[in-house]
Amino acid sequence: MSSGETVRSHRDDVLSLIGTVLDTLAETIEDGAYPEIGYYGSSKKNVNYVPGRGYVPIDERPSFLDGRKVESAKTIASLIYGLTRFKEHLEQGMSMSLRDFYYMHKVKHVQEVLKIGDQSETNRLINLCERILRVGGDSMPREEFGVVSSPKGTFYGDVTLTDLSGKRINCSEAGEYGWFISSRPFDVSIHDINIDAAILVEKEAMARNLIELGIPEELRVGVGSLFGQPGRNMRAWIRRLADEEVPILVLVDMSPWSLRIFSTIKANSIELANIRGLATPEAHLLGLTTDDFWSSDGMLAEIKHSLEKMSKSDIKCAQQNRNIPAISQDRILRRENERLLREGRKGELEAFKAFGLPLDELRKTYIRYIRSKAKRLGVKLL
Amino acid sequence: MQQRPQTVTDIVELSVSAWFYRNRTIAGFDNPARSLYVSIREIVENSLDACEDAGVVPAIEVTLRRVGGSELSDRLTQGPQTFCLTVHDNGTGIPRTAIPKLIGKMLAGTKFTLRQTRGTFGLGGSLALLYGQVTTQRPVEIVTGLKGDPFNTRLVMRLDIETNTPIILEETQIPKDPSSHGTSITFYLEGDWLRSKRKIVEYFAQTSIIVPYASIIFTSPDGTRFEYPRVIDSMPRRPREMKPHPRGIDVETLKNMIANTRSKSIAAFMTSSFQRVGKSTATNFLRAAGIDSTRDPHSLSDKELLKMMQVLASFSGFISPSSESLSPAGVDLLGAGIGRLEPEFTAVTQRAPNVHEGHPFVVETAVAFGGALQPGLRLYRFANRIPLLYDEGSDVSTRVIRELNLRNYGLQQTDPLAFLVHICSTRVPYKTVGKEYIGDVDVVRREIQLGLQWCLRKIGEDVRRHHRVQRRQKRENKLQRYYTFMAHVLSDATGREITTRHLFGE
Repeated sequence: MSSGETVRSHRDDVLSLIGTVLDTLAETIEDGAYPEIGYYGSSKKNVNYVPGRGYVPIDERPSFLDGRKVESAKTIASLIYGLTRFKEHLEQGMSMSLRDFYYMHKVKHVQEVLKIGDQSETNRLINLCERILRVGGDSMPREEFGVVSSPKGTFYGDVTLTDLSGKRINCSEAGEYGWFISSRPFDVSIHDINIDAAILVEKEAMARNLIELGIPEELRVGVGSLFGQPGRNMRAWIRRLADEEVPILVLVDMSPWSLRIFSTIKANSIELANIRGLATPEAHLLGLTTDDFWSSDGMLAEIKHSLEKMSKSDIKCAQQNRNIPAISQDRILRRENERLLREGRKGELEAFKAFGLPLDELRKTYIRYIRSKAKRLGVKLL
Repeated sequence: MQQRPQTVTDIVELSVSAWFYRNRTIAGFDNPARSLYVSIREIVENSLDACEDAGVVPAIEVTLRRVGGSELSDRLTQGPQTFCLTVHDNGTGIPRTAIPKLIGKMLAGTKFTLRQTRGTFGLGGSLALLYGQVTTQRPVEIVTGLKGDPFNTRLVMRLDIETNTPIILEETQIPKDPSSHGTSITFYLEGDWLRSKRKIVEYFAQTSIIVPYASIIFTSPDGTRFEYPRVIDSMPRRPREMKPHPRGIDVETLKNMIANTRSKSIAAFMTSSFQRVGKSTATNFLRAAGIDSTRDPHSLSDKELLKMMQVLASFSGFISPSSESLSPAGVDLLGAGIGRLEPEFTAVTQRAPNVHEGHPFVVETAVAFGGALQPGLRLYRFANRIPLLYDEGSDVSTRVIRELNLRNYGLQQTDPLAFLVHICSTRVPYKTVGKEYIGDVDVVRREIQLGLQWCLRKIGEDVRRHHRVQRRQKRENKLQRYYTFMAHVLSDATGREITTRHLFGE
């Protein structure tokens, strides 16, 4: 089955599901009954952290929308309106952003009834739709019903795939950053993979440097750019790569914020625990680690003078990290976080520039760093 | 009378009316604006009293007319002008022989008794006429007729200030319907309408609240007619004249009473001259005062009288004074009165009689909410059925209201609330001679506070219930809106007609 067909049949499934929900609600109202809708909320009670799996929904405490209550009736009215919008867009093969969805509530006769104040209300509604539209016991990601917002991230490397454009693409020939990650990585067909590992880099400058220095070709790796906290699409793409048994190596700053970035890739987040396929527990933290700077054989010990003092908000972030299960219950991440707090300093990917090496030497340093760190993690590179 | 008696020829004997005229500020005649207001008020109150005495529901018609002079609209340059005031009532009327004395002579009247009346001295009315005559030099015209008489008597008279006697200038008889009765007084006076207008209009508005059984029509110099038709036909019970209570007495009064008594023993004097004193109370009291109960009252020395006075004031065995001498408006009347403000909810209560310095008093309170009332708190104060329009900030009621915690009753300062406080007493505890505000007397404040709190509790309940109903209605409306919207959207999406008929009916 080609990727296009997969997408189309998927879309039909979603359309029929939305149709069923709308029909049920219509019948309920026709019969003179107030609709009642149950769902599992995003409270911590409904989510467990399982080391090696990440955040897992346990769906213990259902919440209910009771149509007899004014607030719930408003939510149900919004829900019905939202579903009809999704339906129409899906039928036309169109996607919409969260902002688009918000503006659909500014249609005069809709605004008069629902009186939506700001986008957070409509965003919550989308989240609710994900929880209410369930397939096989799982929440349906909003991308499935056509709501795609802020996709970001790029991937460079010898991977051949077909995305929603229907074109066959090799990610090392798609542009200076490589391929812009699809908004719906679930629906991308991967044809060929010629990489031994994927390196996901927090900052786009570092990723570009690696590409410019020809490192993907040299080490036979893929290089992805996260552009900060990775979007849902990026996380889904990393999951796809891991499913294809590509080792995942993550290269981020040495800071409490970057620990969060890594933990989201590895374990997903509590808010999105209901969305499957966003966690990659196999992912490894390649660097920068505290050992790089502070242990005697650390590869970056030479430039530890470049470390900067952690700001107040950095420290606060590290302290809050202690309450994030995916960090506090992860042996490596907990150690990193505590050490940061103890030392009170943070490092950035740009630190490599503090060696002051000529470009050729810098290239070798990068290669040496990546290769040896990967080796320690059990990933052999060329 | 700070005239220094330097020589014999300097000594001047003032007549009663001359004295009062010179000291007219005591009664409020201090400037043309205030004088106009006070004159109207005094005459109207005399008329109301006349009607109530006669037991007829009052119908009062007041006309104030500007006489001569151009009508200047400039407030700053406009000085006092001459006005003609006519007050007509449907009271008993005055017998021909009593007219000169009742109207034209100071300190002659029907109010020198121990019962609740509007004024205290019966003086204000005469003083108003006197003020008018002095400022305009025009005589007073009275037309009065009794029920059953075939004619009205019309007298034109002038008051002789120096001798405190009226001089009749003209007398005529005008045929009338024998069943009609009442008095009409017309006189001229100097006044300042622009500066007193607000108070005068307010006076009629508030009088209509406390005397809802009266029909009042006021025609102002601007030609505006303020009409307050009667809203209730019953009148308050008439106050009974009572003997004094032993605790409200002073030595002079006591001496006077003893001088006039025919009792042979002091014990008999006690029981016959005071209210609520029986044989055993008298015996107990005299024992406490150390006076032999068989003594002839006339034989008591000044010293003994003083001692008796002191014990009178401190003796705890007296029963509280009777409230028979009072005439509170009553819950129904007050409710009808406050109804003039067209509120949504009202609560009215009458407190049990209480005593202050030997004089009984009754406090009546009402609270009104919503309807035509403006947002914010308003206070209406009345004493012996007279509206008090000045010095509101110093009044005990203002104090009580300031200390009320409205939030306890689910209300707030910005709510449309009107408070009404009516105190009736044989001696209202006014703070000043101007008689415009009630002093902060503990026992009075307590009664006002308890009365208003009771009213607020009731209003609070009403308002809460009202809000509940409103909320339920609002909720129902919102639900309907949401479901109508849903039905509309679902009809579009499913392509079939979805209605909320079964949810909300047609």
